Amino acid sequence: MMRVWIKFAKESPMRFLSHLDLMRVWQRAIRRAALPVAYSAGFNRHPKISFASALAVGVTSEGEYLDILFDKQLDGAAFERLAETLPHGLKMVDWRQIPEATPALMSLVCAAQWELPLQADESRHLQEAVQGLLSAVALPVQRERKNRLKTVDIRPLIYRLEADEKESCLRMLLASGGEGVVRPGEVLKLLRLPAVEGRVHRTELYVASGRCFQEPMAVLLN
Amino acid sequence: MVDYKVKFWDIILPRVQKPTRYLGNEVNAVVKDLSRCLVKVALAFPDLYEIGMSHLGLKILYSLINNTEQWAAERVFMPDTDLEAILRDEAFPLCSLETVTPLAAFDLLGFTLQYELSYATILQMLQLGGVSILAQSRGEEEPLVVGGGPGAFNPEPLAHFFDFFMLGDAEETLPQVLFFLEQNKQLSRAEKLLSLSQIDGVYVPSLYMPDFDMNGCFLGTRPLHANLPRQVQRAVVVDLDAAAYPEKFVVPYGSIVHDRLVLELFRGCTRGCRFCQAGIIYRPLRERTPAKLKELAKELVRTSGYDELALSSLSSGDYSAILQLVTELGIELAKEGVALSLPSLRLDSFSGQLAEQVKQVRKSGLTFAPEAGTQRLRDVINKNISEADMIGAATDAFAAGWTGIKLYFMIGLPTETDEDVEGITALVRKVMAAYKQAGCRGKPRVTVSVSVFVPKAHTPFQWAGLIPRDEVLRRHNVLRQSLRATGAQYKWHGVEPSLLEAALARGGRELCAVIASAAELGCKLDGWDEHFSFENWQQAFRDNGLDLAELAARQYGLDEPLPWDHLDSGVTKAYLTKEYELALAAKVSQDCRENCLGCGMSLLLEGKDDKDGKGVCHDARLD
Repeated sequence: MMRVWIKFAKESPMRFLSHLDLMRVWQRAIRRAALPVAYSAGFNRHPKISFASALAVGVTSEGEYLDILFDKQLDGAAFERLAETLPHGLKMVDWRQIPEATPALMSLVCAAQWELPLQADESRHLQEAVQGLLSAVALPVQRERKNRLKTVDIRPLIYRLEADEKESCLRMLLASGGEGVVRPGEVLKLLRLPAVEGRVHRTELYVASGRCFQEPMAVLLN
Repeated sequence: MVDYKVKFWDIILPRVQKPTRYLGNEVNAVVKDLSRCLVKVALAFPDLYEIGMSHLGLKILYSLINNTEQWAAERVFMPDTDLEAILRDEAFPLCSLETVTPLAAFDLLGFTLQYELSYATILQMLQLGGVSILAQSRGEEEPLVVGGGPGAFNPEPLAHFFDFFMLGDAEETLPQVLFFLEQNKQLSRAEKLLSLSQIDGVYVPSLYMPDFDMNGCFLGTRPLHANLPRQVQRAVVVDLDAAAYPEKFVVPYGSIVHDRLVLELFRGCTRGCRFCQAGIIYRPLRERTPAKLKELAKELVRTSGYDELALSSLSSGDYSAILQLVTELGIELAKEGVALSLPSLRLDSFSGQLAEQVKQVRKSGLTFAPEAGTQRLRDVINKNISEADMIGAATDAFAAGWTGIKLYFMIGLPTETDEDVEGITALVRKVMAAYKQAGCRGKPRVTVSVSVFVPKAHTPFQWAGLIPRDEVLRRHNVLRQSLRATGAQYKWHGVEPSLLEAALARGGRELCAVIASAAELGCKLDGWDEHFSFENWQQAFRDNGLDLAELAARQYGLDEPLPWDHLDSGVTKAYLTKEYELALAAKVSQDCRENCLGCGMSLLLEGKDDKDGKGVCHDARLD
C-alpha cells in the first residue's frame, strides 16, 4: 500500500470542470498511467481517491490536493507518467508519500488562501473597506440552507485580509473546514466588489499544525 | 481577424450551463494548426454533444481524417438553447470545438444523417455557422456540405441543402474525396462536384433531376449527364480488419449518453428482419477477427482510461466467436478493472453459457427485442425467434442472477391486429412466470418499451404506410389496459415524433421546403421532448401545401417509382418485393448464413478483393 498526497493546479482551461467532472478526469488519468489505485471493499467498490476541498466551477487554483491510496509502492517514474497524461490545464505540482494511517486530508484542511486581481480604480478605495471589515466586532452574513436563512458571524473566520496596492490584488485567508467555512464571494460582497467568478483564484490550502497554518506538502506527520 | 477562441472562452463560455461540452480540449482531441492543413473538415453531429459524442461513426471518421497529417477534422455539435441564444444575440458564428473556427471557414462540412428528427437541426447549424442553407446559393469560398449515414439512403428531403452525399461505408469513400479536394483546390464548386460524382458512393443531387408527369405524378429521378450512373452505388469496405478504427477515443469531461469504449464486432446482419433498414444497408456481414478486436481493446483501454468497454454490433450475439471473445477479453480486461458489456444481444443467441459469461463481466441490464407479440406477426416481420426461445433465454438469464429485463416491441406493423397487440401481454406474463421456473422468488422487474413502427426506404416494408394516428393511440390504449394487471412497467414513446419520422423518411424533394419552413419556425433538436413541436411541423407541411399525416400514411404501389430508386444499397428491388409479399403471407425467410436468398449483394461486391472471405456473404460465393 502507498498513500500519497498530490498537489495540483486547475488552470483556466479546466476551470469549468465541476467537482464530479474533475474526479472522473483524475480517475481516467490514473488508469491511463496504469497506477494501481486501491478500491474500497463491498458491493459498490469505489477507488480510494478524494479531494482535499471542493472548488466552485469557474474558479482557478494552484493549490488543489488529492489524497490517494495505491495498492503498491510506486516510484517517481509512475508519477511522471501520471503528470504527462493529464489534460491540458491540469498540472501536477508536487506529490509526497504520507503514513497510511494519516487522517483524510479533507479533514485536516482548515483554511484557504484566495487572490483576486484588482482593477486600478478598485484598489484605491479598497484599503478603507478592508480596514473597516477587520475592525468590525462581528460580520453577520445570511446563508440559505435547506430553504432556511441562517445568520453566521464570519469575522472570526477571516484570518487575514489585505489589499495589495502595489500588485493590485486582494488577498484573503479564510476558514475552510475546521472552525467553519467562508466563501470568497461573501467577503467580496461585504467589500462591495462584484463577485465575478472568473477572477477569483485559490492559491493554497492549509492544515493546522499546532497553532500555525502549514501547507500540506510541508506539514510534519507521524 | 477576430480571435474567436479568446472571445468564446473568456466571454461566452462563462455564461453557459455546461461549458465542458464546448471546450474541445478533451484528452485525445486532435488540435492541429489549421493554417498548415491542406483539407479542413468539420464533422457535424446535428444533436447535443452528449448524443453526438456517443456515436461510433464520428469517432471513426475523426481518427481516419486526423491520422493523415495534412488533413484536419474538428467536431461540431448543435449548441444547447442557452448557448444558441448567446450566439444569435452576439452574432457569434457556430464554431468547431478544437480551434474555435467558424463552420464557414472549413473546406468540407460533413453532417451525419442518423435520424430524420435531426433534419431541422442541420439547417439551424448551417445558419448559425454562417453557411448558406441552399446548396445552389453557396459561394466559391463556402464549404462543400456533405451528408452520410443511414439518411443518405433517402436523402431527397435534404437534396437542396447538401452539395453531395456519401452512400455506404465512409472509410472507403471519404479518403478518396479528401484526396481529390487536396489535389484540386483550383477547381470551381461545380467542377469539383462533377468530378466527385465519379467516386463510388458519391451522390450529387444537383446532377440528378426528379421527373413528373403533367398531373404532378413522380416518374423517377434521372441523371443530367450521360456519364453519370443511373443508380449511385453504395461504397463497401470489404475487409473490416484492415479498415480504419480509432486507437484513441476522445474522453469527455462530463458524462455522455454512452460513456464507455465501444468495439464494433462486425458490420451487417444476416437475420433479415423486414422492418430493419440497418439490416439492409450494412450488408453483407463483415466480421473483425478476435485477434484484431483484442488488440484494439487493449489499445483503447490504455489510451482512454475508461473502465467499461461495450461490444457493439447490430446483433452482437451473432458474432461467430462470441463465446471465445467474451471469455478471453473478459479475463484480460478484468485484470485491468475494466468491465465488459454487451448491449445488443438477441434473445435466441443468449444461451446459458453466454449468460454465465456476460454475468461474470458485468451484471448490467438485459434488453431483448421480440418486436411483436405473436408468432404470426413475428413471422410477418421475419423476426425468427420462437416463444420457446424467448422463454428459454429469459429463464437462463434469471437463473444466472438477473432480476430485471427490458423488452422492446413495436406497434403498427403491417397486418397487425388487436390479437397481436394483446399477444405482447401474454408474452410478458410468460416471461414473468419464467422467473419462478428459474427458481427465483418474488417478481422480476419487466419493462415493456413500445414504439411505433416507422417504414423506411430500402426495406421490404418501404411501400407500407404508417397507420393513422388515432389507430396508433387506440392500439396503445389496448396494450396499456391489458398490461396493467401484469405489473410490468410500460414505456411509451408517443406517436407524434413517429408520424414526423415517417413523413420525412419516405418523401422526395418536395420536403426540402417543408424542412426549411420548420427551421424558420424554430424547429430543432426534435428528438428531445422538450424541444419537439408537432404544431410547428404540421404548420410547416401546411405552409407548403402538404399534409403531414397523409404523407406518413402514404402507401406506395409496388410498381410505382420511389424517390430513392436511383440509389443502390446493393439489395435489389426484386428481392425487397419478394420479401414484402412473403411478409404479407406471414411466411419467414431463412437467416442468410444458412441459405443465400439472392438479395443482390454479390453484384455490388463483384470485382472487390475478398480473397480472405472475411466478408461473409454466401451470395458472393454461390454465384
